[in-house]
Amino acid sequence: MSGDAPPADAAAVDEGVISLFFFAALFLGGRLLAGQALTDSIEGIVVGYFLWTLSVGAYSSVSNDIGSEVQWGTLERHITTPFGFAPVALLKGVAKVVRTFLTSAVILAVMLLATGTRLSLAPVTVVVVAGLSIVSVLGLGFAAGGVTVLYKRIGNWLNLIQFGFVALISAPVFDLPWTRVLPLAHGSAMLQRAMVDGIRIWEFPPADLGLLVAVAVGYLFGGYLVFQFATRRARRLGVLGDY
Amino acid sequence: MARRAASARGGPREREETDAAREGSPTGGTPGPPALSIERLTKRFGDGDDAVVAVDDVSLTVDRGSVVGLLGPNGAGKTTLIKCALGIVIPDGGSVRVFGTDVRDGRGTAYADVDAMLEGARNDYWRLTVRENLRYFATVSGVDPDSVAARHDRLLDRLDLAGRADTPVRDLSRGMKQKVSLASVLAGGAELVFLDEPTLGLDVESARTLRAELRRLAVEEGLTIVVSSHDMTTIEAVCDRVVMLSNGRIVADDTVEALLGAADRDVVRVASPDLDRETIAGLRERFEVVGVDEAATPPAVSVVAGGDRLYDLTDALRAADVTVSDVRTVQPDLEDVFLERTGSVPGGDSS
Repeated sequence: MSGDAPPADAAAVDEGVISLFFFAALFLGGRLLAGQALTDSIEGIVVGYFLWTLSVGAYSSVSNDIGSEVQWGTLERHITTPFGFAPVALLKGVAKVVRTFLTSAVILAVMLLATGTRLSLAPVTVVVVAGLSIVSVLGLGFAAGGVTVLYKRIGNWLNLIQFGFVALISAPVFDLPWTRVLPLAHGSAMLQRAMVDGIRIWEFPPADLGLLVAVAVGYLFGGYLVFQFATRRARRLGVLGDY
Repeated sequence: MARRAASARGGPREREETDAAREGSPTGGTPGPPALSIERLTKRFGDGDDAVVAVDDVSLTVDRGSVVGLLGPNGAGKTTLIKCALGIVIPDGGSVRVFGTDVRDGRGTAYADVDAMLEGARNDYWRLTVRENLRYFATVSGVDPDSVAARHDRLLDRLDLAGRADTPVRDLSRGMKQKVSLASVLAGGAELVFLDEPTLGLDVESARTLRAELRRLAVEEGLTIVVSSHDMTTIEAVCDRVVMLSNGRIVADDTVEALLGAADRDVVRVASPDLDRETIAGLRERFEVVGVDEAATPPAVSVVAGGDRLYDLTDALRAADVTVSDVRTVQPDLEDVFLERTGSVPGGDSS
């Protein structure tokens, strides 16, 4: 029940500390194993890790929240409201993404200080590119939340998708162009160029920006549809409030 | 868009209007469409031989300002019926109209003045304070929470929650959590309120308090309430009208008084240490014996004995050398009515 969960701000601090711990393990362990090779690619790792923390925050803010709302009985209650549940979940997800941006910014600052790395941090470019990149993850979160509504146990396993984000963030978009239509992949490549090479938002080709927006909107819309389909099926089966 | 305190249908009516409405009709009807109209609703879960018909061709009308109880054992179909009415469960057949609007025409319009308390202490955000819950649920009901701040204060006061308004719900007792659920359901000014097992899990004292507050709020706020329970005390204390459900079907639908009156057969309970089996068998030959409690101390027998039959009974007891320890008339309750109609009791399982 909701009463067993820690307060939201404490949870954010916990997540930040855990993220930093993981990065420290990754960085120090990698230096032991790979030495100079890792140091040469540290900028890319920092940017990728920054995007991964954002993605995990965005995904869990929607998918876990939907699972929690089922448990609390509050999802059922939203069904009869003029707004329905999905718009409320989306707005809550966006609010949590804003919070995740703040915690990820702190993590980024600590990573830069700890590794001595320098990156271009043009706020508008970083926020727009990173923001649009993780919108596609919000869509995945909605789809996973929908599956959780229908199949409670499978929902827990879907948390493993977060580790798949690592593969998406490091997808070889130059060698395999089709991977650009996957969530995060194209956005990750653009964020690398923005933060490592200092490219500003208006310097990107319109086609790249268009694809970034299309992938974001496509996955969000697709995830939203999956969620709506799943909740409608749950209402037909009478399992919407089961937990 | 957030609306202000007044609802699309004129806002929660005040006490005078509700009383006048109740005087105009035995079931509290007012002109205009009923608050809830269910026509031939059916819901089946599963397929083939394993299919369970949870709601079986149920039709039901709830007039504005009335408090209707759904009474039945676990599995009778009460919760499914409520969830179908709310759109939380999609029925297989039939229709639901809320204040005249078919719920299939558009969720936002149909449920603008409806809210529900399902499964007691759930349905609220436990991390939020009591007042934050009220403001949140008013907002998602489409009401500007500032415009109903005075109403929230009144609700908190009525439900004895004013002193805990700024306490997170997680820190409250179960009884208080259920009061918060009730308050948040009423926070947006809903006119039609569904309460599913509102006293479930409460201790005797908390349940009694909640029942009294429900009845008072129903009158003061001019609400139409549909309350489901397997607890007859709750139904009897709160409702004007009772709909009894068994195996997904309506087996009785009338006012509490009418149902009890129909079951009132002038039953007399006689207790005596002299009531042995032979004596009881003799009574059975001459009277309608509706209950025998041999385990009681002293043993007791319940006999239908109205009017002159009471004198016949006393004569028969005297003739059998029965010294009466206690004699009292037996008032029927809803359990008796339910038992008579279905052969089972509301607190048990329908199967």
